[in-house]
Amino acid sequence: MSQLDPVTRGIDPRSPRFGAGVTAVLLLVDVFLGVAGVHGIALILLAALAVLFGWGAFAGIRRHPYGAIFRALIRPRLQPPTELEDPTPPTFAQGIGLVITGIGALVGLFVPVVVPIAAGLAFVAAFLNSVFGYCLGCQIYLALVRAGLIRRRAATV
Amino acid sequence: MPGAASVRNVPAMNVLWASAAVLGAIVVATAVGLIWRARVGRIRTARGGAPGAELVRVAAVHGGLGDHATLLQFSTEFCAPCRSTARVLAELSERREGVAHVEVDLTDRADLARRLGILQTPTTFVLDPAGRSRARIGGAPRLGELVALLDSLEADRVAA
Repeated sequence: MSQLDPVTRGIDPRSPRFGAGVTAVLLLVDVFLGVAGVHGIALILLAALAVLFGWGAFAGIRRHPYGAIFRALIRPRLQPPTELEDPTPPTFAQGIGLVITGIGALVGLFVPVVVPIAAGLAFVAAFLNSVFGYCLGCQIYLALVRAGLIRRRAATV
Repeated sequence: MPGAASVRNVPAMNVLWASAAVLGAIVVATAVGLIWRARVGRIRTARGGAPGAELVRVAAVHGGLGDHATLLQFSTEFCAPCRSTARVLAELSERREGVAHVEVDLTDRADLARRLGILQTPTTFVLDPAGRSRARIGGAPRLGELVALLDSLEADRVAA
């Protein structure tokens, strides 16, 4: 019984975890550059990562370049996936990444120390997602629901 | 290129601090991940939980209680582990007679999330036939522990 219709066809769950791994490494590089005092390059890298997150959030996780790399280079070397996953949750997670890195890059224009801090926070989230399969987006979505910021329709029960 | 020049001119002290920051980030993230993995999916048994009546009402609206046990799962739509948990629990309820699986989307029921103190999805309550909450599971349940709990609930019922 699969609730995945052809329009929202499932993705290989290993694909977003691979993407999160690449992102985590790049964020770690950014932490290094930011703390080492190479502010210009650190800022540009964080802004580039924000653009990549935005790509995933707005175009959908399946159109993300990391997904294409995964399908071309990694997927052929792996067993076929045991199950497919709905692309909605990882797409939402990309939006969270966009908020953290986007704010970091914008504020970092004026306050350089913010760049490695934002990169460090985003790193922890991406690392937990990639290595442990932890879903920070799930927690944040629920927190938004509880705060009353997300509501679909009036409660009926 | 000014950028490349500035990389070469970074003082050794800064490189040291930067390396420490990178190492610290990895250590913190790994520690958080290990703690999370040690806790997620564990079954916390409860003795006659207070929110029982609320849970029974929710279960009744969404399909009713099972004869032996009810797996009442709270999810949201932006939650990958909720989907896999729903599949596993639905399969379990199909395999075991008298075990019902009920899934509720909290996106429509922020009030429930607040009243039941649900801070993560999926959160699954295991209700006995009387509707008492016997266990609460945060995250994707550990199947072995859940099956053992269902076995003991069933044994209770046979003995009673």
